[in-house]
Amino acid sequence: MIRTKTMIFLGLTLVLFASFYAFLQDGMAEKTTQQTAQYLHQPVSVDSTKCIATKEFMRANHMRVLNEWRNSSVREGNRIFLAPNGSKLEKSLNTCLGCHKNNKLFCFNCHMYANVKPKCWNCHISAMETP
Amino acid sequence: MKKALMPFFMVAVLALIPYVGVRYAGLGYLFGIVLPYTAMTVLICGFIFRMADWMRRPVPFCIPTTCGQEKSLDWIKQDKLESPSSFLYAAARVLSEVFFFRSLFRNTRSELHKGSNLTYGSNKWLWLGGLAFHWSLLVIMLRHARFFFIMVPDALQYLDDADRFLDVTLPAFYMTDALVLAAVTFLVLRRIRDARMRVISLPSDFFPLFLILAIILLGISMRYVTKVDVMPVKALMLNLLNFSFEPPGEIGTLFYVHLFLICVLAIYFPFSKLMHMGGIFLSPTRNQCNNSRAKRHRNPWNSDIKFRTYAEYEDDYRDKMKKAKLPVEKQ
Repeated sequence: MIRTKTMIFLGLTLVLFASFYAFLQDGMAEKTTQQTAQYLHQPVSVDSTKCIATKEFMRANHMRVLNEWRNSSVREGNRIFLAPNGSKLEKSLNTCLGCHKNNKLFCFNCHMYANVKPKCWNCHISAMETP
Repeated sequence: MKKALMPFFMVAVLALIPYVGVRYAGLGYLFGIVLPYTAMTVLICGFIFRMADWMRRPVPFCIPTTCGQEKSLDWIKQDKLESPSSFLYAAARVLSEVFFFRSLFRNTRSELHKGSNLTYGSNKWLWLGGLAFHWSLLVIMLRHARFFFIMVPDALQYLDDADRFLDVTLPAFYMTDALVLAAVTFLVLRRIRDARMRVISLPSDFFPLFLILAIILLGISMRYVTKVDVMPVKALMLNLLNFSFEPPGEIGTLFYVHLFLICVLAIYFPFSKLMHMGGIFLSPTRNQCNNSRAKRHRNPWNSDIKFRTYAEYEDDYRDKMKKAKLPVEKQ
């Protein structure tokens, strides 16, 4: 009996936590804006001419880098990426496309071959769509 | 406990073989080309052999297991699915067993309560766990079509889209990944937790579970955590499907472990309990019609009986019968 009661209580706590999770995020929002302001006023020269990592690493991990960039730049406002070689880059899809737009099919070739359908182009304009 | 630990270590050792072989001995060709072909040959030939062997076995008796009213007089309502009298309903019963595990749904559990009160209760956890496990594995297998076809068929693409419908995390999270992991964990724990289940569990029950668990964990790890470049993987798979013997490109070692364990599973398949995949269609208690009163079931190994009809008897003794003034049918 006691075990059943504990389980019910635990379940209720979980449901409560899940339903208030969204508000919890709201409560923490103020802190984030302060952080954003701090980042925005930081003067940093942005350089988009170098590769950020080796080819082999990027082939397997580019989606993780982009995901990380999106989260930290959009949600925390931190738009500066410190590459392992010391150079500072802007966390933006344009940083990549600066060089990689030369080949219009740069993204699509592999994604079509491997049948991967990322959602990048739901919002961003792809190289295929620009004249 | 040894019964569970031994298969666990077997899987661990098996996983180490390609890891060492590819990383330190450079045996990519063996593990990427030779072994998959061998494994598929063994799987297909073995499967066909086992099925043909079982299909040739005679079925001596009409023994369908039923739990409903059989076909009788017109005014008695027949339970057509539970006690089928035609091929169509018998097939429907087998298929519902295959797709929904109906007999597991009726699973009951008996327990002793307060000393000597034996009670029976419905117990659907095995049914739910088994269903989640098998369906997830099927969906995951179909999803892998994206590695085997240049253009994925539309139906499989829809299945894939439905599976990542939640649209969270960047390599989109597949629901079946979580489902199958939960289900296989439950199936392992179910055998380990209960003392009575432990007694009847064998290493051959644990081995496929651990093997499949390892394959799933490696697959999930390659997708979400330790990334593997998929381009050479797809090239290798297309090559394999085209029966080409080109050596594979540079692929992460974890992929070879994943592939090797699948090959082990494929080779193990025809020799193991996993043959229930084909066997369920051939089980006589399921696939026969319950029509033993309407139709005579002939035992195929009965030798032919020589009957002597009355007409033959009369032919032999007609003269003597006439003399004794016995009535005869034919003069």
